[in-house]
Amino acid sequence: MSTLIHAQAITKRYGSKLALDDVSFEIQQGAPVALVGPNGAGKTTLFSLLCGYILPSQGQLSILGSKPGSNALFGKLSALPQDAQLDPRFSIVHQLSFYGQLQGLSAGASKSEALRVLDLVGLSEVAHQRSDDLSHGMRKRVTIGQSLIGKPQIVMLDEATAGLDPIHAREVRELVANLSDEATFILSSHDLTELERLCNHVLHLDKGKLIEHQAKPSELQTKRFMTILFADNLTDVEQRLLSLPGVTRVYMSQAKEYVIEYQKSDKQIDIELLNFCYQQGWRYRQLVNGHTLENQIFTQEKA
Amino acid sequence: MTQLHPQRLMKIAQFELVRLFLTKRGLLAVAAFTICWLLILRYPVGQAVTIVSSPELAELAKQVFGAIGLSKLLQWPEAELAMYWLIALYSFPLFCLFLCSDQIVGDKHRGTLRFLTLRATRSEILLGRFIGQVLILAALLAVTLFATLAVMAFRDVALLGGGINRGAIIFFYLLITVMPFVALMTLINTFASSARLAIVLAVLFFAVGNIMVGILTWQVPMFALLDYIFPGVQINQVAGQNSTLFSSLGIPVIHSVVLLFIAQRIFVRSSL
Repeated sequence: MSTLIHAQAITKRYGSKLALDDVSFEIQQGAPVALVGPNGAGKTTLFSLLCGYILPSQGQLSILGSKPGSNALFGKLSALPQDAQLDPRFSIVHQLSFYGQLQGLSAGASKSEALRVLDLVGLSEVAHQRSDDLSHGMRKRVTIGQSLIGKPQIVMLDEATAGLDPIHAREVRELVANLSDEATFILSSHDLTELERLCNHVLHLDKGKLIEHQAKPSELQTKRFMTILFADNLTDVEQRLLSLPGVTRVYMSQAKEYVIEYQKSDKQIDIELLNFCYQQGWRYRQLVNGHTLENQIFTQEKA
Repeated sequence: MTQLHPQRLMKIAQFELVRLFLTKRGLLAVAAFTICWLLILRYPVGQAVTIVSSPELAELAKQVFGAIGLSKLLQWPEAELAMYWLIALYSFPLFCLFLCSDQIVGDKHRGTLRFLTLRATRSEILLGRFIGQVLILAALLAVTLFATLAVMAFRDVALLGGGINRGAIIFFYLLITVMPFVALMTLINTFASSARLAIVLAVLFFAVGNIMVGILTWQVPMFALLDYIFPGVQINQVAGQNSTLFSSLGIPVIHSVVLLFIAQRIFVRSSL
């Protein structure tokens, strides 16, 4: 795997406000990367730095060996910046074709490319309309489409599914999943379940500081976790689950949801857990192997 | 200016032309411009020869034009072109402050500039937009000039040959004259928050700036040199065909280069 992005000791100040504090990380080519954190944590600042919209106060940032905003990155890195809109005076296909031409495509090829990306986001029928004629969700999908022009290596989507209805949000997730072999996506979202589905590597920003997570458990860990969400409110769950062999700790993470800590062993403890639930007459809705991303982040922010 | 790719530069400039001629708002601006110029062609330009050929009015014109240094214009056989030259020389710079008020500020406000900067350098966007605006003004100048030549040919077709030659020279001088005004709007666009504010700042720059320089010059005459910070400082000299080549062409070109350089330095460092 090759390193796509290397950030070293990045600090960004707006006057006296510290937006990013000595942030260092590396992003490798491959599965989508999640950028999470509460409002004001510095996610959009980090996106803007990676896109070259703003300059860091201190630190070094390298994308594919070039500085952000460098012409070497044109066509290789694209983004959906938060709240950015197309020009309402031109048709969508005209603008997307123009972007394609700036990326070096011919007039004909850029128009075909514009129609291809509109098809990817399910909006071929609005190609000749202006962005003002579209709903908020459609405009968002069009701008996601613009980020896919010319098949870039890195695609950064800031709050890509915010404001989309569940059907279209799911379509965008599927699109990202389908294209993850061609490009490395960096996604920021408040929907942690969405990010958990798509991403392995998680960059968690809080008050300008960075904490990295692996959303999926490492094979090297000796302690293992499962998170189970029940359909109903139950009593005495912790005590009863502790009676299962290998289980060392059980606690309620939020309403109807319990985290089960157990020792790594050869036993199929998940099967035993489900059998136990069946015997107790407990209906469950979801069983997660490990901590949910939401719990990891919530625990971190509360710490 | 660094990192300029000619193809991207021209694509951005071409896009500006489309903005004016193929969008509703652009076409409305062209329609308003056309109506104004139809009135100018019908009355001042159309009546130019009457003013010059009438013995009483000609004498008055000679006195007035002579007093303000325009007597050379009365010697032009193409009276319509002389009138066009004067009107265009003073009106186009003013017009371009309005026409070029939204070069990047609207895109910056809307976030469209964020899509563009992933595909073109900031210098290319800035210079491409400037070139686009100059091309638009060139197109509008050419159309009005052709219409003036048509009015002149309608009166006396024999003047057409000489008129075309003089028209080409006028076109070139007018285009160079408006360039620093476009560049000034490019510069103001790098820090203004709206197109309307850009116009207000430009008007304030000329109005308040001239008053301040006037006061300073009154105190210390050497401050008269500060007049050279204003685009169009040479227009009065150029109008009467009394200026040197440096004054007519050199000053506006230097103004344009300096203003664009400052704009570029500000724009590459600004946050989007």
